Amino acid sequence: MTKEFYIFMLINGLSQGMLLFIIASGLTLVFGVLRVINFAHGSIYMIGAFLAYSVSTLLTGGSLFSFLVLLLIVPPMIAILGFFLETSLFRRVYRQEHLVQLLLTYALVLILDDLVRVVWGGDPRSVARPDLLAGSIEILGLDLPTYNVFILVVGPLIAMGLWLLLYRTRAGNVIRAAVSYPDTLGALGVNVSWVMTSTFMLGCWLAGFGGVLTAGLANIDLGIGMEKIIECFAVVVIGGLGSIGGALLGSLIIGIGVTYFQLPLGRWALVFPYALMALVLIVRPWGLFGKPER
Amino acid sequence: MAETSRSSNGRNWIVGLLVIAVLFVLPFVLGQMGRTGEYWIWVTTEMIIMGLFAMSLNLILGYGGMVSFGHAAFFGVGAYTVALLMKKAGWPLYLALVAAPVVAAFVAAIIGWFCVRLLGLYFAILTLAFSQLLFMIVFQWRELTGGDDGLHGIPRPEALGPVSYYLLCLIIFLLCFWVMRMIVNSSFGLSIRTTRENLERAKFIGINVRRYQWLNFIIAGAFAGLAGGLLTELNRFAQTDFLHWSRSAEPVLASLVGGMYSLVGPAIGSAVLIFLKIILQQLHKSMVEVWAIVLGLILLAVVLFAPDGLVGLYQKFFRKSES
Repeated sequence: MTKEFYIFMLINGLSQGMLLFIIASGLTLVFGVLRVINFAHGSIYMIGAFLAYSVSTLLTGGSLFSFLVLLLIVPPMIAILGFFLETSLFRRVYRQEHLVQLLLTYALVLILDDLVRVVWGGDPRSVARPDLLAGSIEILGLDLPTYNVFILVVGPLIAMGLWLLLYRTRAGNVIRAAVSYPDTLGALGVNVSWVMTSTFMLGCWLAGFGGVLTAGLANIDLGIGMEKIIECFAVVVIGGLGSIGGALLGSLIIGIGVTYFQLPLGRWALVFPYALMALVLIVRPWGLFGKPER
Repeated sequence: MAETSRSSNGRNWIVGLLVIAVLFVLPFVLGQMGRTGEYWIWVTTEMIIMGLFAMSLNLILGYGGMVSFGHAAFFGVGAYTVALLMKKAGWPLYLALVAAPVVAAFVAAIIGWFCVRLLGLYFAILTLAFSQLLFMIVFQWRELTGGDDGLHGIPRPEALGPVSYYLLCLIIFLLCFWVMRMIVNSSFGLSIRTTRENLERAKFIGINVRRYQWLNFIIAGAFAGLAGGLLTELNRFAQTDFLHWSRSAEPVLASLVGGMYSLVGPAIGSAVLIFLKIILQQLHKSMVEVWAIVLGLILLAVVLFAPDGLVGLYQKFFRKSES
């Protein structure tokens, strides 16, 4: 094992982690504002991936332009799906007990996952990477897969964008206020239900964005939604539910950990997130960045 | 829990005994009806088994007030215990059926130890995650579990025909029902209900909440394992599908449809759902494709409009007619 090899693995793991972060940040953001943990987040992500496949069949494959088109139009389509889900279903259960909220999003998982199966069938699909991102790129004397490097650039951009949005804009102030003092916010004349709807749409946009990126990275099949939601859960358990910074850290730990453990453990590396989750739960049940209130 | 007057209590007993009598006579009637009859014996056996599975989950869901999305884990552990012991170790059925709940309880003890440390949302997340972990282990461990193919050709004792297996399942179901009834009405069961109603108060009056919930989780896991073992012997195979997350949805749904604040409600809900599935199958073959969508829509409707389920409707109906 050379040093180059480990750097190669690190890049691989980091890009996996970044992809996971894009999806998990949507989950944790929605939880922070809506106080509902959306089990259907993985299904929404999966719809994004399959939608990317469908749209890509309409475009010329392999060109950078068509891939950018995918990244531009599929996530907003998923956000619109989110708009309908939030206004027709989620809105009804905010003031109800957790049980009802959990079961509602669980019902959505059943419906959405099966809808994907009915619409797209069970065969694995993939989206052709644009030629520009398909090969490998030489950085510091290492041949790295360009697509992973691309994710590695896009991921931090998204993280930065989220940070700027939340901490440097008025919209972000309102969202953060909605996390802490929703009632006061309403009394100050802000339309809180619109804040919730748009936060949910943003969460779905992130899931859709992750879906498009995944479709270009690997084969997509009916299992990816459940697989990803569990990884997202591991992320939020490790990082603390509702914390974006925690989600970033948790995603990177899981991405790098799974990649590295694949060497000695092979397919059993998938157990790593669970082991880590169990460990965090014993030591710090509220997560590394969460608050110990719940 | 709603107070039930003595007259309605007596009526419940009569209805219950009548239903049991009908259930005992049923296979002999169906046995006269040729192939359709045999098919329906098989279906009702499955209803009984899945009813037991649903009731076991409801110990956690209805009585404990905790949402578990990973109950299929214990169902699957029981199923694979029976499959492995009978097929690979050559154990007789009755010993394998004793082992299934024991192994399932053991696994539930490990998983539950982590899960009950967290409540509400986190509990639901963790149960789902751990069941998915078990699913992956069974899926990957080809040498032992056969992976995707599952384990087929579980031996069936000579003496057990469809009718006698039905009766065996029915007797086991009734025994389990009786035991669960005792558990639910014991001081342990009352304490569990207290933790559901008011966690702080339960702690305050000296209930060791975590230990009680852990024990409850183990008991529920054991019953689920038994149900899994019974289904394996009925189908004569065990497959990864038994541990799949969507399998965990079935008892949750059955509890909601049947009503989760009664012991027998989930079993009724489960039977109703299986019946519905078969009706849909008869209507059109492609309806099986959309079965999960149908389940999801039912779940949505129940959650949004009738959280107390069928038994709630029954109680409402009779309370109205009495007053």
